[in-house]
Amino acid sequence: MRSVTRTRRVLKWTGNVLLVVFLVWTLVPFYWMLVTSLKKDKEIYGFEATLVPRQPNLDAYRRLFAQTPFVKYLVNSTIIAVSTTAASLVLGCLGAYALARLRFPGRRLIARGLIFSYLVPPALLFIPLFTVMSTLNLIDTRHGLTLVYLSFTLPFCTWLLLGYFRSVPLELEEAALVDGCSRMSALVRIILPISLPALAVVAFFSFTQAWNEFLYANVFVNSVDVRTITTGLTLFVVEDVFFWGPMMGAACLATIPPVLIYLIFQRWVVKGLTLGAVKG
Amino acid sequence: MLPAGPRRSRALRDEARLAYAILAPSLLVVLFLVAYPFVSAIYLSLQDKMVGSPGRFVGLENYGELFRDEVFLRTAWNSVVYTVVAVGIKFVVGLTMALVLDQERRWNNLFRTLLFVPWAVPVVIVSLNWRWIYDDLSGFLNNFLITFHITRDIVSWLSNPHLAMGCVIAVVVWAGTPFYAMSFLAGLQAIPKELYEAAEVDGASVLQQFSFITVPRLKTIFVTTVMLSTIWTATNLQFVLILTKGGPASRTEIFPHLAYQIALGARRLGMGAAISLVFFPVLAILIVLLTRRLLRQGEE
Amino acid sequence: MERTVTRRQVLKAAGVTAAAVTSPWWMVKSSHAQRAKKLVFWHLPNFTPLADELQKQQVYEFAKSAGLKDTDVEYSTVAGEQAMAKLTAGIEAGNPPDVIRLYESNVQFYAAGGHLLDLHDLVQRMRREPKGIFESSLTAVMYKGRAMGAPLAVNPWPVHARLDLLEQARLEYPKTWDEFIETSKKIQSPPRLFAFGMCLGLVEDTTDNVMNLLWCYGGKMVQADNKTVVMSSPENVAGMKVIEAMFKTHKIIPPGAISWDNSGNNKAYQSKQAAFIMNPTSVYAYLDGNDKDLQKVTGLFPVPAGPKGTVNQIDTWSYAAFKKTPYPELAKGLIDYLMQPANYDKIIQSTGGRWVPVYKRLFDSPFWKEKPAFKHFIQMAETGVPVSYAGAPTPAAGEVLNTHLIPKMVQRVLVDNWEPAKALDECHKRIADVYARYEKA
Repeated sequence: MRSVTRTRRVLKWTGNVLLVVFLVWTLVPFYWMLVTSLKKDKEIYGFEATLVPRQPNLDAYRRLFAQTPFVKYLVNSTIIAVSTTAASLVLGCLGAYALARLRFPGRRLIARGLIFSYLVPPALLFIPLFTVMSTLNLIDTRHGLTLVYLSFTLPFCTWLLLGYFRSVPLELEEAALVDGCSRMSALVRIILPISLPALAVVAFFSFTQAWNEFLYANVFVNSVDVRTITTGLTLFVVEDVFFWGPMMGAACLATIPPVLIYLIFQRWVVKGLTLGAVKG
Repeated sequence: MLPAGPRRSRALRDEARLAYAILAPSLLVVLFLVAYPFVSAIYLSLQDKMVGSPGRFVGLENYGELFRDEVFLRTAWNSVVYTVVAVGIKFVVGLTMALVLDQERRWNNLFRTLLFVPWAVPVVIVSLNWRWIYDDLSGFLNNFLITFHITRDIVSWLSNPHLAMGCVIAVVVWAGTPFYAMSFLAGLQAIPKELYEAAEVDGASVLQQFSFITVPRLKTIFVTTVMLSTIWTATNLQFVLILTKGGPASRTEIFPHLAYQIALGARRLGMGAAISLVFFPVLAILIVLLTRRLLRQGEE
Repeated sequence: MERTVTRRQVLKAAGVTAAAVTSPWWMVKSSHAQRAKKLVFWHLPNFTPLADELQKQQVYEFAKSAGLKDTDVEYSTVAGEQAMAKLTAGIEAGNPPDVIRLYESNVQFYAAGGHLLDLHDLVQRMRREPKGIFESSLTAVMYKGRAMGAPLAVNPWPVHARLDLLEQARLEYPKTWDEFIETSKKIQSPPRLFAFGMCLGLVEDTTDNVMNLLWCYGGKMVQADNKTVVMSSPENVAGMKVIEAMFKTHKIIPPGAISWDNSGNNKAYQSKQAAFIMNPTSVYAYLDGNDKDLQKVTGLFPVPAGPKGTVNQIDTWSYAAFKKTPYPELAKGLIDYLMQPANYDKIIQSTGGRWVPVYKRLFDSPFWKEKPAFKHFIQMAETGVPVSYAGAPTPAAGEVLNTHLIPKMVQRVLVDNWEPAKALDECHKRIADVYARYEKA
């Protein structure tokens, strides 16, 4: 038993050392991003580049807001991420409920189809999807992009909620149904309240995936009016000149919403991953 | 729960109708935006289709041209190395991170949040930032190394054929490890502490505890996470697109990036589809296995 | 007790389903309906906000003069590279804009697909202006003998040179490439400052820079018949050997240039890490607004001469109108209006030297004459050639440029250490395949 205690102590110290290493490894790039956004142009380029800004200032941010459509990108990203999240929640709940509780022919096939479609990589689909989106005139529209995002958030959310709903004991609903409750109200009044953690996870994942998405946003949206942050950033190249300061400023700002949302839903995200992945 | 007799079949039918009605929107989205494009990708790859012109059926000619091209072998090799190495490193580092975070200490929650943040950042931002970090003269890496006298000359990270792939993989690892860490951590925390205590009473060493308690219980998560990550890693083109564009001299060219270049640069949609599909059979096996596994888990 | 589904639930679900199923249709219908009623102009940013504003004003002015209301005009701003992707989508959907500005070979690409309106008469009118236009701009727009686009700017690619460094070393701007190498070795102080910021990444600028040098050695990509590829030639080998020597032996090019993108050489010059770069005057225009000190010591020169003389590159932007427009006459009228010398000149001058006017007469204005930096421009605009020299910017040439076949060849030599001849042979075969494919089509 003593050797175990000693091993554990060694492990504890190793763990702390590793933790420091991981923290440095993780945080240095953020430091660099932040610091670049606070430097004057001259300090950013060439051998003038410094590890610590000599004259920290908010010029880059000022330029970002005054000279670029950054705010528009922010608004677009928000609208699209929120719509995607809302739609994923509603349709995901409904779908998961149907698959978990209702009996109907084709149930297994539909479930399988949904998961399969989640796993088909966007890099494979974007070329023919391009033609589909063009023909349906969904290019350069916010609702078009939202729909396309649903194509991967919906299956994932449905699957996650499906797993969770299945684990809710039938007795709870049965009691309500016996009392004359309709299926829909059973869903809303009984299942959803217990499922709040799962819903939180769904909301977090949908929001983050929609917020961070690049490939579809790049291929299906071109005009500045509809651009999101991820692809708008790459537009801080005016013809062939880069604006690293404002771009890193934008990058810093664009990182905040998903991180904030993660902070809020943190507890449930880990639990949600447990639900999804640990069963069995 | 259902009534007996003739009312039973009516109730079942109503239930089915409700189910279809509820699932209809989701199914439509998936049908239009996944199923149809998927099938259409296969058909597109069998055509010679340029942007703005109607397609011409050419059978397997696109694939023939692709296989005969010397770039194909190189891209295939790169794609495999890239995926395997990145996933492998992410696994090891992720597991280590999870084990470290599972240890008891103050402010663990804070550390967890901090280490998770890379996963919340858009990949394109990560790539742009790292591109800047790797920059020859203005980048953090070179500045740091030279300021602290670790190297004398600047290193051309992304221009060096021997370093470029490693640099790209480092970014992939930086961005993707949190997913592994969080998944494994969730699994670790689901293991009841009593098991370890009991084992310790029985005289098991730490290593034995790890091998016989931890690992078997994490096996499901391991498999699921690795499979998911393999699919995502193999098909992600953003890192390469922003960091190296496939260079230097095709050292970092991978299939998804090549497909993107051909489809949008050369405007050959048919050929682009063929390139994206070439990798698919391997992924398809993973996808089918993973689908079954994920569903089976839920059905417990 | 009732445990079955209520009618209301079914109706509600049915409503949702119906909406979902029919939504694509009404979405399509509503966008189509909108499309039918407006004049659509896609604007690619002109590099200065003032120029962008002026262009917008002019488009609306024209609309008013043609009897259209402001709401009848759809003015979309699309950034350069995204414009081509968006255009692709538009064409696939049968929904292209009415008027757009196209780069080089894109005019011929869309003309070949039968998508563009014939602008021949318009261009003839342009040529009849006093002093006419730089005829070198026509290579980009001529398709089967007709002008399918209206050339709007002719952009030379001069060498931006640090006059102060030359002065310090008491050297003149080198007249030949050999002199260039010697001068470079004297004025550079690596790694802080490399002399020659030649772009070597897998991007368009590399094709431009490399071909420009090869031309001076007598080499080229394709013959004037736009069919015979001549990438494998002793002249190209000679030129490539010079580039190889510059990079490996004389070390006057920064090693990081291998992973540059199109802004790499700009950045290098602007942050004083390179003394010479070959680029359109976007850098010069940038300095005008951001670093007047550096601009003062920047000279713009033709490319040094090789054994076969000096050849300079130009690239062309052109206005084009799409056949699908419900208003062909208005579309043509808009282009005509924008190309009226009076209107046109306002925009050109507000781009700070980024665009060189296609009308020769406008070059006589003080704006150009008073800047010594622009001294050589008129000659470069007259005699400049497109990157596809000796061929025209055909769709095949466009694909070669877009798929970076020449940068890949250069990296074979500089990274894989291939013999220039071997790399050129490989490149030749690939380019020939591309041209053959377009021949067949």
